[in-house]
Amino acid sequence: MKKIPEPFEFKECVSIVKSTGEKARNLIEMRKLISKVGNECIFHHVYQYFLKGHILEYTNDFAEWAGETLEERALAERLASIDPYTLKSVASVRKAILGEIDGFLSIFPEPRDVVSGSEFYFNETVNLVFPVGIKTKNLAEFLVAIEHVDTGSIYYHFYDSRVRLGEGVMDDFSMWIEHTLGRKKVAEKIRAIDPFMHSIESIRKHIKEIVEEYVRADMEGVAY
Amino acid sequence: MIRQYSGISPKGDLLLIQRLCEKLKGRSFLHVNSTREGGGVAEILHRMIPLLTDLGINARWDVIEGDAAFYDFTKKTHNALQGNREKFTKKMWEHYYEVNRKNSRKIDLRADAVLMHDPQPAPLIDFRPRSRKSVWLWRCHIDVSNPMASVWTNLKKYVVKYDAAIFSVSKFAKSLPLDEFIVTPSIDPLSDKNRELTEREINEVGRRFNIPRDRSIILQVSRFDRFKDPIGVINAYKIVKKYNDCILILVGSPATDDPEGEAILNEVKEYAGNDPDIHILMLPPDSHKEINALQRMSDVILQKSIKEGFGLTVSEAMWKEKPVIGGGVGGIPLQIVHGVTGFIVYSVEGAAFRIRQYLNNPDMARRMGQNGKEYVRKNFLLTRQIRDYLSLWYSTMHRGKNVIEL
Repeated sequence: MKKIPEPFEFKECVSIVKSTGEKARNLIEMRKLISKVGNECIFHHVYQYFLKGHILEYTNDFAEWAGETLEERALAERLASIDPYTLKSVASVRKAILGEIDGFLSIFPEPRDVVSGSEFYFNETVNLVFPVGIKTKNLAEFLVAIEHVDTGSIYYHFYDSRVRLGEGVMDDFSMWIEHTLGRKKVAEKIRAIDPFMHSIESIRKHIKEIVEEYVRADMEGVAY
Repeated sequence: MIRQYSGISPKGDLLLIQRLCEKLKGRSFLHVNSTREGGGVAEILHRMIPLLTDLGINARWDVIEGDAAFYDFTKKTHNALQGNREKFTKKMWEHYYEVNRKNSRKIDLRADAVLMHDPQPAPLIDFRPRSRKSVWLWRCHIDVSNPMASVWTNLKKYVVKYDAAIFSVSKFAKSLPLDEFIVTPSIDPLSDKNRELTEREINEVGRRFNIPRDRSIILQVSRFDRFKDPIGVINAYKIVKKYNDCILILVGSPATDDPEGEAILNEVKEYAGNDPDIHILMLPPDSHKEINALQRMSDVILQKSIKEGFGLTVSEAMWKEKPVIGGGVGGIPLQIVHGVTGFIVYSVEGAAFRIRQYLNNPDMARRMGQNGKEYVRKNFLLTRQIRDYLSLWYSTMHRGKNVIEL
């Protein structure tokens, strides 16, 4: 008897923001605090940036503050270029951020203070993960589900998985599609979506288009 | 009841509320504030308590009772926590504590989770029943980022005894030796202020207030208060008017607790002069449907504050898919992502420029309005606030964990 593939269970992550009570008025204070705060705080400001659901000019909160509030665009550009998913850990991300700030401070050692109220506030999160009650057994069911789940679910499976599951793992969707359904080409196309260049809604749209193409081909009996 | 929000609130929020209520079923959740009517806190509690009860939580809401001296003191405290200089005596603080002590005998403080809203009931923590394992949370709805130091020092004595504190915005939070959570306020999409209205309802309000509908409408809804910069709004309108024929509506409610309000209203009226296209409306505080209709008939909505608490009128406008412009203060930048869900401005000229941009680019205005509604749907609806309170309660039961699987 043919083995029934393990279904894909959609989960969602909801984050509750917790303040560390720490704030930075200038780059020197920011540097000091980045080296001191817990990993959860760095994780929130870098990795969970994508949970915001819209794409601004930068790719993490530190870069955004440097660019928008300090108006140090060159530093902001360098901070935004740090790719948290190719670095192996939060510790490496922290090191890379500190390296960029140190480089900047060695040229401009006397940073100015921002006006009151525009400080950088260091937060972290408590994350609640729960199944959303949708399980899919094949690509066609997956296609219906991906259209309807919340963005928090796409974040959890597309972004959070890269940290949760460790080095070498891309996203839950392509893992399941390749290893459970045995559809390597579909998985590769999903992995080719650049996580930095899209909002979560646009990630949804891309995944949907890729899967739709293969589902249609399956129905028409076209071999891929 | 939760079903009423289906199709409106994000599915995940509704699902998580239900999951958490299953986990917390039968447990008691007590809220204490200082008023049954009026104000955002009471508005939310009126809706939240029956909803939680419906989902199996034993939710209760009690109101602290005090005399005139107590309310006068807490009003002063409120102002001082927001940075005003006020005079306090030791006797006043003692009376404040005494009123709380008396209330501790009237209110049943036995509950699994207790949420105290704002400074008025904060000292009730001293009367926490010792026999019961419970979670006590202090919720601060006001901006305490630059308080009068002595007032904060006195209040802090009580705050630090709680298990956790909740602030509306990160920059309102203080450095405290306890967990501090950030929970933004919210609007109720089903209330009279925010529910969908028919064209007929909108037109009826337009006719009642003699609002011409043949030109673009610019609106600001706020108290007549210098911090809301109504004169600045008129100046911005005057700049816009040179190129775009439009009308301006300034709408507010009389604030009985604000002696300056009347003077500012007169100042605004005088400044508007006899321009027939400036409509200044003073409506009773319960004119929710009227405000809703005025927002829905507008083309651009401003909240040009120069000092602000959270500024939920911005979310109300965004929920109606209106292009918004707000001052970069308080909670406004949390709601307006500049260039995505609206524009943040810092001057009269900046406000005028953005109004003209909206009026001359209806496609952009529409797109911003749509982004705004979606942003509010995900971040500023009542269900998200309920979700956060429950999550917070549940997370304090799993202290030390930053990922909790349900």
